[in-house]
Amino acid sequence: MKRLVVIAAGLSQPSSTRLLADRLAAAAAREIGTGTEVRVVELRDHAHDITDHLLTGFPAPELKDVLDAVAAADGVIAVSPIFNASYSGLFKSFFDVLGDDVLTDKPVLLGATGGTARHSLALEHALRPMFTYLHAVVAPTSVFAATEDWAGGGDATLHRRIDRAGRELADLVGRRESPVVADPFALTTTFDALLSGQGRAVTNDLRL
Amino acid sequence: MQFGVFTVGDVTQDPTTGRVPTDAERVKAMVTIALKAEEVGLDVFALGEHHNPPFVPSSPTTMLGWIAAKTSRLQLSTATTLITTNDPVKIAEDYAMLQHLADGRVDLMMGRGNTGPVYPWFGQDIRNGIALAVENYALLRRLWREDVVDWEGKFRTPLQGFTATPRPLDGVPPFVWHGSIRSPEIAEQAAYYGDGFFANHIFWPKEHTQRMIGLYRQRFEHYGHGGADQAIVGLGGQVFMRKNSQDAKREFRPYFDNAPVYGHGPSMEDFTAQTPLTVGSPQEVIDRTLSFREYVGDYQRQLFLLDHAGLPLKTVLEQLDILGEEVVPVLRKEFAVGRPAHVPDAPTHASLKAAQTEKVDA
Repeated sequence: MKRLVVIAAGLSQPSSTRLLADRLAAAAAREIGTGTEVRVVELRDHAHDITDHLLTGFPAPELKDVLDAVAAADGVIAVSPIFNASYSGLFKSFFDVLGDDVLTDKPVLLGATGGTARHSLALEHALRPMFTYLHAVVAPTSVFAATEDWAGGGDATLHRRIDRAGRELADLVGRRESPVVADPFALTTTFDALLSGQGRAVTNDLRL
Repeated sequence: MQFGVFTVGDVTQDPTTGRVPTDAERVKAMVTIALKAEEVGLDVFALGEHHNPPFVPSSPTTMLGWIAAKTSRLQLSTATTLITTNDPVKIAEDYAMLQHLADGRVDLMMGRGNTGPVYPWFGQDIRNGIALAVENYALLRRLWREDVVDWEGKFRTPLQGFTATPRPLDGVPPFVWHGSIRSPEIAEQAAYYGDGFFANHIFWPKEHTQRMIGLYRQRFEHYGHGGADQAIVGLGGQVFMRKNSQDAKREFRPYFDNAPVYGHGPSMEDFTAQTPLTVGSPQEVIDRTLSFREYVGDYQRQLFLLDHAGLPLKTVLEQLDILGEEVVPVLRKEFAVGRPAHVPDAPTHASLKAAQTEKVDA
């Protein structure tokens, strides 16, 4: 069984960001196949815990549960409102507290919402580079929805893009084994290797 | 089992008065706390080491030497000694000197230090933290155990025919603990040498402590130093007490809310649930502390953090009175209940000297 975790960073309730996230999740789950487990996380519900984690260095239990779910997911759908030509601060903060390497080789589908289509390229110049930096495998199609896209009787462009993006994520998920989550407390070297300078000689992992 | 206090020596504004102690006041407050610890019957005073404001204790053996002269029973320790940025030669000499002055009442806790800019001030790089801890400590051990050392490594000038002086008291090096929050390599290092392992056990979820101690115990047995339940474990803890629980919470809350490290973040109630912090009555502190044993097993040393976040000296001394009069006597009694006879006490100079004599006689 494949597991999708959907991260929606919309702030209003109901939010168009959540609406787009749900549509993307439905399209991807349909393509991956029956039994796909979808968990939708509204970051608004964890906003305080995310800030606390930035300050204390560890997640409260409910946030830890979300972070663990992302780590164990076969694919992630990440949707942010566009604020000031970029992702929202809450969206960024969530990915800032996600552990190192959690998104490495993980299929990710990007979505964003905004008032007008003028903001659509923020997906490509803000969201996509961040996920590339995190070594995620980002689906080629990302989906932007502006207010007018939700108007009845509009063209079917949004619908088609959602379906295509869902197919692409399903394809990336289908080509991978489910992730094995590393235990941060596992000893991965021996003391003899450490003594001879061969174990973790230089590291950017600065935890104490 | 040993009980004591440890301090990081932060200079922090008292949020209730706006007052910031001078460095002089903070230094004198720290030694006053140490003397009070002995007076109220505690066993250990452990001192942090920092080389950046807002912390004052940059010269631990100077302070511990002063305390040694004014006390007769108190065990003097560190929390932690920077094994990464200090020259191991200087650690060997400073603490051997302290051993002589303190008649052996000295042990050390090694730590790496998490402040990146400090490393280059001492010619090092934080990304080498683990490697520095491993190489420097291996040299330190030799300097205490071998009269003449030839040595070459990666991080300091080679040594040819070098003798660290003075030699350790009675030829017995100080006992060493290794402290780490979540680096399994350091638990492994402590286990390899049969040294102690200290989990700071403050500001972080207890699961970190549980996992690290579990690994250390397992590896201690693997390296043949004894059973897993005979490994030498120390824990930190953070408490604030008043006779009535609500009074404790009311008084400590402004210090909590504005504290360095966790202030302006989670509520005191959330942080109490998520970390070993206990704010309440002496009985609540007793109950919480006794529960530590449920997830680390019987252990050897419990240190409390009492004097941070701008708490005034008078308040800290009151905390020490409560700790010494109402809390620790009960903890001593209760921790002894059900403790297997084969679980050792924390090593002291006397016990290490006796063990060495035994080895020579055999």
